[in-house]
Amino acid sequence: MESAAPLFRMEGISKRYGGVRALEKADLSVRAGAIHAILGENGAGKSTLIKIMAGVVAPDEGQMMLDGRAVDFASPAAANDAGIVCVFQELSLIPELSVADNIIISNPPTRFGMIDRKAQRRLAEEALARAGAADIHPLSLVKDLPLSRRQMVEIAKALARKPRILILDEATSALTAADVSKVFAVLKRLRAEGLALLYISHRMNEIAELADDCTVFRNGSKVASYPAGSKSDEEVIEMMIGREYHSVYPPKPERALQGVPVLEARNLSWTDRLQDISFSLHAGEILGLGGLDGQGQRDLLLALFGVLRGLRGTVHVDGKPVGIGSPAQARAQGIGMALIPEDRKTEGLMLPMTVRDNLSFASLDRLTRGGIIDSAKEQDFIDRMMTLLAIKAGSIDAPVGALSGGNQQKVVIAKWLMRQPRTILLNDPTRGIDVGTKQEIYQLLRRLADEGAAILFYSTDYAELIGCCDRVLVLYDGAVKRELVGAEITEHALIASALNIRSVESMHEGAAS
Amino acid sequence: MTRATGRKPGFIHRFDPAVLTAFGCIILLLVLGSLYSRNFLSPDYLLQQLKVASFLGVIATGMMLVILLGQIDLSVPWAVATGAMMACAAAAYGPFGVALAIPFGILCGVAIGVVNGIGVAYLRIPSMIVTLATNAVAQGVMVVYTGGFSPQDSATAAMRYLATGGLIPGIPNVVFIWALIGGAMVFVLGRTGFGRAVYGIGNRERAAYLSGINTRRIVMIAFAVSGGLSAFGGVLLAGYASKAAQSMGDAYLLPAIAAVVLGGTSILGGRGTYLGTVAGVILITLLQSILSVMQMPEAGRQIIYGLMIVLMLLLYGRAPASR
Repeated sequence: MESAAPLFRMEGISKRYGGVRALEKADLSVRAGAIHAILGENGAGKSTLIKIMAGVVAPDEGQMMLDGRAVDFASPAAANDAGIVCVFQELSLIPELSVADNIIISNPPTRFGMIDRKAQRRLAEEALARAGAADIHPLSLVKDLPLSRRQMVEIAKALARKPRILILDEATSALTAADVSKVFAVLKRLRAEGLALLYISHRMNEIAELADDCTVFRNGSKVASYPAGSKSDEEVIEMMIGREYHSVYPPKPERALQGVPVLEARNLSWTDRLQDISFSLHAGEILGLGGLDGQGQRDLLLALFGVLRGLRGTVHVDGKPVGIGSPAQARAQGIGMALIPEDRKTEGLMLPMTVRDNLSFASLDRLTRGGIIDSAKEQDFIDRMMTLLAIKAGSIDAPVGALSGGNQQKVVIAKWLMRQPRTILLNDPTRGIDVGTKQEIYQLLRRLADEGAAILFYSTDYAELIGCCDRVLVLYDGAVKRELVGAEITEHALIASALNIRSVESMHEGAAS
Repeated sequence: MTRATGRKPGFIHRFDPAVLTAFGCIILLLVLGSLYSRNFLSPDYLLQQLKVASFLGVIATGMMLVILLGQIDLSVPWAVATGAMMACAAAAYGPFGVALAIPFGILCGVAIGVVNGIGVAYLRIPSMIVTLATNAVAQGVMVVYTGGFSPQDSATAAMRYLATGGLIPGIPNVVFIWALIGGAMVFVLGRTGFGRAVYGIGNRERAAYLSGINTRRIVMIAFAVSGGLSAFGGVLLAGYASKAAQSMGDAYLLPAIAAVVLGGTSILGGRGTYLGTVAGVILITLLQSILSVMQMPEAGRQIIYGLMIVLMLLLYGRAPASR
């Protein structure tokens, strides 16, 4: 790096959430008049790092220096005052207010205690012009603007705070190509004006175009900082993966898939989140869904399960088209689908209710005769599930919320296995549970597949996809970008296609050999 | 098989502290009352109170079902009045009308409940708003029907028999009716798929929906039952007083909610036992009776209900969240 003293430095920053380590002794150095790109996988600690910089969360240890002086931000407002402003990934605008109101929301100009509308509008116009979005009328309502324009307002809002360091967290992911080039021009101008920019994106080509410096994070620690252009894409991905994965996965059987697929999706589209997704899933197969978090995988699972309204395209079960309008229809005889939802605490379980009530909740229609619960049958089903999944619970009449995370997740899985589903959709089922239980779940999935279930498995953990899946569909921006089969499923291929890098083919050749 | 019978009924294996508190309060009230007058402990007085409590008990049963879902039914006052007035009105249409008076009154209440249910389950209007609205509409319709005066039609003999008669000497029929409805409710909540679904929805509607429960149908049925039971309460009250009256249901909204909440049912839904509601109903009835014997004016009574509800909500609304 250049000899100029860094504008901002972080040293030895650590942050834990509960028992989970989000950042471990991370450091970062940002200089004025440069664009600094931060790279890393999902969960590498990038978001936590930014939140600490922007005063949203406080670090457990470590220090931050601005202009060589130690600083400590108690709140986002304090960070703003120091000149650090963040454009967050999630839009933070208030839809019912005008663009001008939103841009000047934190400290509007006042006259006699009232907001000075004229001055406010002038400031908003300046900020919009600086953000390269002078075409947006400051008095139009945010809710009337399309998503990409809103993102421009978001950037203008940040600029109105006169930042010295501007952080852009996935700020371009909602933008159209035309807007992206505008934003790039703006960012380059800001760099020329002497701002320090911190740029986070999963789009490697953007980073290649913009960045001066790059820092790679992995598992909460900094791996390396280097001047942009000094490393190849392959080397960068190598640094992002870095780890080996252990062989905790059951062997995959060699099996020729034949016959009519149990589940087939044809041209599924939903708003702008899913685009023309087609795939087929056979009995005995574990099909993975990969890609970066939030590329439409969750929406796809919900769509298949009949939760989303306004879905276009068709779903075929056993080769026949079916209309699934609700989870009740999805689980019905003939379709036999089960969804292990994303968040077990709010979607999978009723935490204050007993283990028994939760276990039988999805099978009430099968456990009742004339509406009345057959307790003998219920007990029989529950006993079988408790044994099958080795659920550790003090008593099945204790609240399910008292169980450990892993056992809670087992209850969610068990309550669906009780119906003996033919198709099992799993939405990141191993998140936040211990390694031992994870391993049990992998074994279970393979056993279920061997017994003839068709499994669609979304995971944010690449190692899991590699270890468990017969095939993997990599999603990007709501569309299937690539299908990886058998030995093709490698971390290289997964990450490269998740990032939608063009040189995927050559990389894949290298990785497979 | 042996473990199948190992499940104790809900009211034994979880001694809800709220239920115990409510029963404790009942005993405390009786003791305090007996200091004021010995009559408070006489069997006649207690049986009389049980009879009075039964009307509230029938109405609170429906309210409890709705509150367990995490909703509320504010259409009670005019569902009660509508049930009473329509049953009496039907009685004016010859022997056929007399025979159908009770079911017709209940059906009118069910209709109000169905409208509430459609509003909450399908149109996604907050229950507080939609039930308040149907209450106002029901009031309007009844005022148009009666011209704003107490209707001249009187209750049928069957209605009077249910409310005041005694199949077994000494025990009023209405107490039996409450016991029957209460027993049915305990069974529904504890032993049927519907009951499980009600608790499930009250705890976490999203999880219930994703488990494949037809949540809208359950919500719909619960409101219909609540409307029907309110109207049935009205039918019984009309039988008790021999005729229906304007605003006869007004005195039942707050006590019904209070009884359910005092009995330990979470106002947020998903938690509560019917035994608690029984305790709450008796507690409210005794409180009302003792305050009026002590010649506490109506305003003072209202203040005390309100304060007691707030107090209970403070105690139970802050139960530790489940992990």
